[in-house]
Amino acid sequence: MNRIDQLFQNKQKDILSIYFPAGYPKLGDTLPTLQMLQDKGVDLVEIGIPFSDPLADGPVIQSAAKQALDNGMSLQLLFNQLRDARKSITMPLILMGYWNTVYKFGVDAFLDECKKTGIDGVILPDLPLEEYTEDYQSKFEAAGVHNVLLVTPQTTDKRLSIIEKAASGFLYMVSSAATTGGALQASKEREEYFRKIAALEIPSLIGFGIHDKASFQHAASFSNGAIIGTAFIKALEKGQANEFIGSLS
Amino acid sequence: MKIKLCGLKYSKNIKELVQLPLDYAGFIFYPKSPRYVGEEFDPAIPAMFPESTRKVGVFVNEELQSLLEKGEKYQLDVIQLHGGESTEYCRKVKDAGFELVKAFQMNESFQFQSLKEYENVCDFFLFDTKTENYGGSGRKFNWKVLEKYKGTTPFFLSGGIGAQDAEQIKQFTHECLYALDLNSGFELQPAKKNADQLEIFLNKLELESMKKDKFAVDQRGYYGEFGGAYIPELLRKNVDELQENYLKILGSEQFRKDYARLLDNYVGRPTPLTKAGNLSRRYGTNIYLKREDLTHTGAHKINNTIGQILLAKYMGKKRIIAETGAGQHGVATATVCALFDLECVVYMGALDVERQAPNVARMKMLGAKVIPAISGNQTLKDATNEAIRDWIANPESFYLIGSVVGPHPYPDLVTRLQSIISEEIREQLEKETGNPNPDYVIACVGGGSNAAGAFYHYLNERKVKLVAVEASGLGVDSGETAATITIGDIGFIHGSKTMLMQDEDGQITEPYSISAGLDYPGVGPLHAHLAVSGRADFLSATDQEALNAAKVLAESEGIIPALESSHALAVLEKMQFKKDDVVVINLSGRGDKDMETYMKHFA
Repeated sequence: MNRIDQLFQNKQKDILSIYFPAGYPKLGDTLPTLQMLQDKGVDLVEIGIPFSDPLADGPVIQSAAKQALDNGMSLQLLFNQLRDARKSITMPLILMGYWNTVYKFGVDAFLDECKKTGIDGVILPDLPLEEYTEDYQSKFEAAGVHNVLLVTPQTTDKRLSIIEKAASGFLYMVSSAATTGGALQASKEREEYFRKIAALEIPSLIGFGIHDKASFQHAASFSNGAIIGTAFIKALEKGQANEFIGSLS
Repeated sequence: MKIKLCGLKYSKNIKELVQLPLDYAGFIFYPKSPRYVGEEFDPAIPAMFPESTRKVGVFVNEELQSLLEKGEKYQLDVIQLHGGESTEYCRKVKDAGFELVKAFQMNESFQFQSLKEYENVCDFFLFDTKTENYGGSGRKFNWKVLEKYKGTTPFFLSGGIGAQDAEQIKQFTHECLYALDLNSGFELQPAKKNADQLEIFLNKLELESMKKDKFAVDQRGYYGEFGGAYIPELLRKNVDELQENYLKILGSEQFRKDYARLLDNYVGRPTPLTKAGNLSRRYGTNIYLKREDLTHTGAHKINNTIGQILLAKYMGKKRIIAETGAGQHGVATATVCALFDLECVVYMGALDVERQAPNVARMKMLGAKVIPAISGNQTLKDATNEAIRDWIANPESFYLIGSVVGPHPYPDLVTRLQSIISEEIREQLEKETGNPNPDYVIACVGGGSNAAGAFYHYLNERKVKLVAVEASGLGVDSGETAATITIGDIGFIHGSKTMLMQDEDGQITEPYSISAGLDYPGVGPLHAHLAVSGRADFLSATDQEALNAAKVLAESEGIIPALESSHALAVLEKMQFKKDDVVVINLSGRGDKDMETYMKHFA
């Protein structure tokens, strides 16, 4: 069974998912960071594939991605680093990146590597749903790789029902209209939106703007859990990753 | 349904016909036919048709060797047989590599079983009216008999089809009907076809290929395989809103009136089409310059910003976001925002802010807020990223994009707004030369908006050669270039699938050109399609070639062009023109902004 499905079967509340870019802050940090996160009890990890033009990301993730690229990170190198990860890493792993990198790598080769390295899902924010369902869905399904889809406060009900049908794994619930790294402000409409998505059959995690224990708990109270990216990268940068994860529970 | 036009012969006549979307062009090699091409037929005549029109040779009981020789000599793709040729004969023609059409003459008593033995050897049948000779009656047969045809080989419907038959053809359905074979019904005299009548007829048939916008974007925002809307879900609602509204608004009478009025009275259109006499003599041809440099703000960019600001206003938007490279689009956006009293935020790469100080000052004086983009390499690509990020965070804002790039509908929207350029060229050229169509239209391409506008009304005029000129910087192989089509490959940038400069890992690389308006690592999806389909030729010019061309124009015509436009001028040195060719160059902008660069090189 796909480790993502297994996770949501075993745990419905307070799922903590962490995002960080591969090869950051140092090229060889990918695996040690994964190990640390697992040891600290993190449930799920999204590994960022660094890209030169990350449209949906704020300045912190952009500059982390740039540093990773300057370190010499590439998608192939990431797969090489992950080659032996499954000897010790049992958490579900997701690759998050932009479509150009995957397309250039070759979709078949990409899925093949995902299978070999034990990747459970991908998040490709700029691959449109229609293109995915028409051209790629069957390949992803055959490879057993979930394509995690995003919903946002702007997503209309009509579109939501289409997304729900095509979704697998869980829904990535974007908290607000912003790139990554903004602050999350509580509001009635937002809570209503969270509740609407949480009511769907498919599990959901809230991301964008989750940065500490309080915002994590607030978000997790409306869904199965939440995703922290920017705040974790800041901690990585300061060498306080361990302490940061500790502070969340 | 495909269209075959048969019985062709005269080169002058074919010149008028090549513009029509003909799938097959037929030449009759049967000496007794009044449309026989003759003994001395020039092989260059069939070759006048584009490759997409397949050349058909029509024969009647020709000796096999002679047929094969003619097939070779005239580069025929298809052989059509009208006599009593056997299946064995057909097989040999087929084995020689030709596509095969076998004609049969229909009347009420035609025995369809007789087709059986030909089914496996023929690609197509052709059903013609029964005559004493071998076709060419000019009469129709009763198409009802075809109900009895139960075979699977697709057929050409032939025999006396004329202009008056469009409705009947639209009513006629048969699952094996593949093509119409047209001949004497559209003639002024034997073998001389009436191109106008034919065009009207084809329009009436509402064929897919007759749709005027053959190079137009499809429902999902693609030009061929390029385009689309590769955007995060965060932008979906904004983009959907624009997709739903832009055509409605652009097509409304109010918009058209407002847009036309502003173009006339504010932008200063129509811009002149200047015959460049000295330049013409220099290159031994007839060169016309489309003077976009004479618009308000000094470049074609304002055609687009005027249109989009109206669109934004009609959509009730209050805040405008734009990106800019050299600052031309930024200035054009700040200008229209001032005119319409809307808040204006312009993202500009931090490096460009430094390099293009005068334009930054203009934008500020016009009341815009200029935000330096400090991400990435701090140029146009990064400014575009920042503008899109702003749009994600502020979905109620209007993103006023500056070129034919971005997610659908932007490439189409900007192309339509810039198409005024070719609309005017057509009118002006017709007045000047009696023919709206030049032999060449030449324009520079960065993202490609001025080229899209200059090409637009010629896209389906296949006789008009379209030449796009990219900036190759220090040379296409130097690593310091912006010649996307020449060195790039398929990828995704700023929401669209297109050609793009990237490394092996799919990281988008930084372009270089002396001209800030051309150093963009992607290109509009329309241009990627024009390049791949062969509709436009993509050439390139280096920094030095562009500088030289600027000097030539300044000294010979008294016009200082923008560095971008100088790239278009530079290819005059590399191309061969005939004395009576008409060459239009889109002079997209004026050179004031580039004086520092020019002085550095020429002082």
